[in-house]
Amino acid sequence: MSTIKETIKGFWNLIVGLVTTAKYLPRPAVTLQYPSERWTMPERSRGVVVLLSDPETGELNCNACLVCMKQCPVSAITVTQAKNEKEERYPATFTIDNTLCCFCGICEEVCNFDSIKLTGKYEFSVFNKADLIYDRDKLQELGRDVKYEKKRKPKPAPRPAAKPSEAATASAEKPESTETDKAPSGEEIP
Amino acid sequence: MLELDKALLAIYAGLKTWFISSGIPVIWLDLLVMIFAGIVLIAVLALTALFLVWWERKISAHIQDRLGPMRTGPHGVLQTLADGLKLLQKEDIIPSKADRKVFFWAPVIAFVAAFMAYIVIPFGKGLMARDLNIGIVYVLAITTFTVISLLMAGWASNNKYALLGGMRSAAQIVSYEVPLTLSVLGAVMLAGTMSLNEIVEAQGPYFWRWYWLPQLLGFAIYFVAATAEVNRTPFDLPEAEQELVAGFNVEYSGMKFAMFFLAEFVNMFTVSAVATTLFLGGWQPPIPGLAFIPSWVWFLSKTLFLVFVLMWFRWTYPRLRVDQLMDFAWKFLLPLAFINIFLTGLGVYIFK
Amino acid sequence: MDRVLNNTELRDEEFLINMGPQHPSTHGVLRLVLKMEGEFIRDLVPHVGYLHRSIEKIAENRTYNQFMPYTDRIDYCASMPSNQAWAVAIEKLAGIEVPEKAEYLRVIMTELNRIASHLIYLGVMSLDLGAVTPFLYTFREREWILDLFEMTCGQRLTYHYIRIGGVSRDIPPEFGKSLKAFVADFRKKLDDYEAILTENPIFLGRTKNVGVLPLDVAKDCGASGPTIRGSNFAWDIRKAEPYSVYPKLNFTIPTGKVGDVWDRYIVRIQEMRQSCNLAEQALDGLPESDVIRAKLPAVLKPPAGEVFSRIEAPRGEMGYYVVSTGDKKPYRVKIRTASYGNLQVLAPISIGWKIGDLVAIFGSLDVILPEVDR
Repeated sequence: MSTIKETIKGFWNLIVGLVTTAKYLPRPAVTLQYPSERWTMPERSRGVVVLLSDPETGELNCNACLVCMKQCPVSAITVTQAKNEKEERYPATFTIDNTLCCFCGICEEVCNFDSIKLTGKYEFSVFNKADLIYDRDKLQELGRDVKYEKKRKPKPAPRPAAKPSEAATASAEKPESTETDKAPSGEEIP
Repeated sequence: MLELDKALLAIYAGLKTWFISSGIPVIWLDLLVMIFAGIVLIAVLALTALFLVWWERKISAHIQDRLGPMRTGPHGVLQTLADGLKLLQKEDIIPSKADRKVFFWAPVIAFVAAFMAYIVIPFGKGLMARDLNIGIVYVLAITTFTVISLLMAGWASNNKYALLGGMRSAAQIVSYEVPLTLSVLGAVMLAGTMSLNEIVEAQGPYFWRWYWLPQLLGFAIYFVAATAEVNRTPFDLPEAEQELVAGFNVEYSGMKFAMFFLAEFVNMFTVSAVATTLFLGGWQPPIPGLAFIPSWVWFLSKTLFLVFVLMWFRWTYPRLRVDQLMDFAWKFLLPLAFINIFLTGLGVYIFK
Repeated sequence: MDRVLNNTELRDEEFLINMGPQHPSTHGVLRLVLKMEGEFIRDLVPHVGYLHRSIEKIAENRTYNQFMPYTDRIDYCASMPSNQAWAVAIEKLAGIEVPEKAEYLRVIMTELNRIASHLIYLGVMSLDLGAVTPFLYTFREREWILDLFEMTCGQRLTYHYIRIGGVSRDIPPEFGKSLKAFVADFRKKLDDYEAILTENPIFLGRTKNVGVLPLDVAKDCGASGPTIRGSNFAWDIRKAEPYSVYPKLNFTIPTGKVGDVWDRYIVRIQEMRQSCNLAEQALDGLPESDVIRAKLPAVLKPPAGEVFSRIEAPRGEMGYYVVSTGDKKPYRVKIRTASYGNLQVLAPISIGWKIGDLVAIFGSLDVILPEVDR
């Protein structure tokens, strides 16, 4: 008797299974026809890293403090420092190796000068692996249209040599940040 | 156009008078007619197989909340053509120690066997290649050919996994032939004849008089056994990639693989066509008032509906393990088929 | 003639089958060497290490904060709990107190990730058994969860959201409404999945009483999580050694009765329902605050010492043993992952079953190879 009951119960469940799958036949699909339709990336998306520039002057915000380079867990960022005619420090070269970058966002978080940001760009496939290593000009160009909020203090005034009072003012204005090191003076960076 | 059978008969009569008047023996006309019928059948079935492959992908996609092929032609209708072209231009690999003749002939036999069954299936009123009076027995005999081609494919591949897969496939098909044949007997008993055309005519144009109602059990058994015959889920263990033992067609590539693939879809259509003929009234309309719609339209729509149900099964159920499969055939379906025959015989005796 | 006749006795030979690193059913690169006797498995040896990435060694050369993105990738299907395991270990070592809002946010995120991870299990398991459609359905549900994560932290798989001392960002305003809508819809979808699978006679035939895991074998092999809870043992770190705000939240631990594949499946389905409740409770109990991360020194140097702490990841216990010498980089990190213990169970319980069952049993253990190999 129980086998007959089990058979009927099993048979009924098979029908229920069929009805459950057939429910989806008339429904519209949930997929997007990429590339004619694209997903709008949320504002906080972590994609390709770009360098931000000042909207008025068009110059890079970066002052080559090397914090992002030292904090990157995979050593994807390489920066060399140089000084221009006005004795301001700027990055002579700024290379991000996208074959290493893991899009963790640490560089954006530790930067004190609104210089580096992760955008929502995800379509950057190339045929040649060498084209994935972005230099400073390419990074700046990618970052030209990126909107950002100025959260941190602006670049410090250039320090002429041996003026201790100005150096003290510069480090005293450092905002409260929770996970950064003692930039911009360039010391004590792990 | 709508009265295809009368049009064809008129053309035949006209050609016959022309032949007689020209002095050519009529036997050449009959030969021409047979060749013509063969060509038409192959063309229709090839187009059907093409359509079915596309339809399966669309049905599976919509069940899974997605769209399926959309780029090759509007809504992907040319997808099968693209797949066929791709398979055509693939390298034809033959394993080094394989038995070349057997390896070559296995897909051919599978393909030919799939097509041969259509000679006796009535596509519409008067639209049959040949009305054999042993119609259904002929169909069942032909579907057994696929077993030979599976064993040939498994053996000739020189691959122990292909051999195991082929033998499993063959065991499955042979086991499910028995309940299949027995369930068909019920409909034959009700109609009193084995000719498929006469079975359709005996069912009449009222859908409550078709044999699915008195033969509910037989229909169910037939359909389940037919699913196993065509190696579809839940009985598709021989084809499953997730199980370790590969299927019989693992060593095939290119056009040979395409032949196995197409043969599977044609087989699906065959078992659905036979089910329509035996249980759903073939080319009969459901009520006589709808007889203005051509008979072959009715046949096609009923068969396509059954093919849709086969695809529905595939995308809903998990698959049975091979020993559970065999248990199901021999210990469950076979006794039920016997009960069905017994009850049908009783019913025929009492009510006729 | 006699010699030929005498040598034709039937023999049974055992032969080896290699279920190689590339196989649709091994959920990653795992090599299983099976000693078969006909259709039955007599012995099974897993060969691991194809996905070894030396994460523990790398940890010795990264600061504590720099190591966090690496923890994402230990178990990428359950990235939030992997982050949390590391954060909890270092917070225990350094004595850091996490703000309450961050704890609630952590609970929301880890429970959502538990649902996402179990959805992968459900889809892949039914795919292995032949039912392709639930795979697509579960991935559709997962998309909503991933959208929730993406609006919060910007990534869909490796979140790097839970940090030492708290979380990285607060939830955006649209998160709460979307989460409530998701939970309401998901409960109905779970009923759908149960309709297709739970009472299906074919599914029952392949999973009931298959691969029974006795409790002593499970304990000896170090199984944890739903694998051991299927064998009627209510062991869950969230109740046994509570961490975060779990003591304040209301939930039960589902267990199975027999320890077969079906029980482990039911345990995970019920855990998904519990996680829905937990996520909702945590969202409702979210305190009004702006502090989402504890104030940490610029360079984190925990005191010298060692710590072992564990949390309940979706697959079982994930534990960290960290040795610190007071420097900014750890001296030694040892990661105890759930799938390593769960994989040990495979050999004892699949002996005597057929290969078709092996696929079902292995699917039910929900082993993820990156966790096993690290």
